[in-house]
Amino acid sequence: MSDDQHPGIDVDDPWQAIETCFAQDWTDGLPVVPPTAALVERMLAGGPWRADEVLLHEPVRNRAVTAWHAAINAVMAGCRPEYFPVVGAALSAIGEPDFTLHGPATSTGGAALMVIVNGPVCEAIGLHGGGNLFGPGVRANATIGRALRLVLLNCLGCHPGVLDQSTQGWAGKYTLCFAEHEAASPWEPLHVSRGFRRTQSAVTVFAAESGHNILVHAASEPETLLTAFADAMAGLGSLSPGRSVIVLSPEHAQHLTRAGWSRARTQAWLYEHARRPLADLKRAGKIEAQFLLNAETRRWLYAHAPGGAETAPSGPDVHTRVRPGDTDVSVHRGLGPDDILICAGGGAAGGHSAFFPSWSRGRSVPFVSKEVPV
Amino acid sequence: MTRILDPTLRAVPPRTAARASRPPRLAGAALGLLANGKTHGMVFLERVAEYLRTRHDVGALVRVTKANPSAPARSEDAALLVAQCAAVVTAIGD
Repeated sequence: MSDDQHPGIDVDDPWQAIETCFAQDWTDGLPVVPPTAALVERMLAGGPWRADEVLLHEPVRNRAVTAWHAAINAVMAGCRPEYFPVVGAALSAIGEPDFTLHGPATSTGGAALMVIVNGPVCEAIGLHGGGNLFGPGVRANATIGRALRLVLLNCLGCHPGVLDQSTQGWAGKYTLCFAEHEAASPWEPLHVSRGFRRTQSAVTVFAAESGHNILVHAASEPETLLTAFADAMAGLGSLSPGRSVIVLSPEHAQHLTRAGWSRARTQAWLYEHARRPLADLKRAGKIEAQFLLNAETRRWLYAHAPGGAETAPSGPDVHTRVRPGDTDVSVHRGLGPDDILICAGGGAAGGHSAFFPSWSRGRSVPFVSKEVPV
Repeated sequence: MTRILDPTLRAVPPRTAARASRPPRLAGAALGLLANGKTHGMVFLERVAEYLRTRHDVGALVRVTKANPSAPARSEDAALLVAQCAAVVTAIGD
């Protein structure tokens, strides 16, 4: 198809092309690769989709993103065509109805779209899960996540201050895509734990608030090591009935491997210990009156109370007034061990892992995994 | 001369439903209140309804709160509002 069959803007030179993209508000604030028809067609050929195939449908605003528009934005992000299957799989994942993209894409919470990639595609395209995996330096990591953000901006209208009402947002909103460091994991790769074969490649997406570094250098027993993880997860700033992502550094992962701790045991231990007394939540203004009228949040707050959620009190100030016994009621992060997703990533040296809380003060959205087509 | 392609959906015809006609009068008309499901959506809508009742003498109120603020209203809720209301006010209230 020739250039003039596609809507666009004619420019004289590369510099004008880059500046035109800024002038049209087509960027994330960084320069983009100007998308010509030839580049977009090459991008599209990198994946298995027809140009008019819908990869993502956002139902609240009834917007459908085709492979063609995804390819335009992937070019702009700087992707190579061989990255496009990962971009398409990630778009398909965030478009799953359960993910309810409209929330994390527009909320004051300012979530990033985390994409964790597993399987042979990582080595094939150079997706990185080692040192500085969340930082700069690797094209596949930087541009695949960026392509998702450009789709949100350009196709779904999630412009800051317009549809995207993030109070602060965070740097992960530019891009947040990485490979699991499968060789460093104490367990089977993340995607295998979620039902895929090792020979398959898959993305797992998560609506993430900014990460917390978990710095521990002098612990080797699992319970000692994981104490700092649970403490970070129980921080009042992010405590919620939502999900968690833990990215274990290789050094920390080794301690769990040596001790023979399973994924399930680690999840269960973290769930059990990532908790605060109800009194702390009340004193910190973490409980809204509506929480006690909503069955889900009421269950979350009182699930571990003597007598269970049925004994939750009611009254006009019960969400703020500390009552006798509130120090004995534990409120855990999430609703159970399965709300904690653990993967491995990072450089060989250093006792630095990471915890990413979910977006929202409620349940947030589930983890969604999708196969990357070959 | 090189053409750079439009990455937006501006050139794609939006798949939207036709806008309903305005009710001829609000006096006595049944009014739907569709809260988006966030904490204070219905609190805000109750104030709006109070205003409309005072100023325009609206009739019965049909209250619906979405189960999930991030998802469209359920089809049964939309059908209820269509069947019972002359107009619907929707709001977010965080």
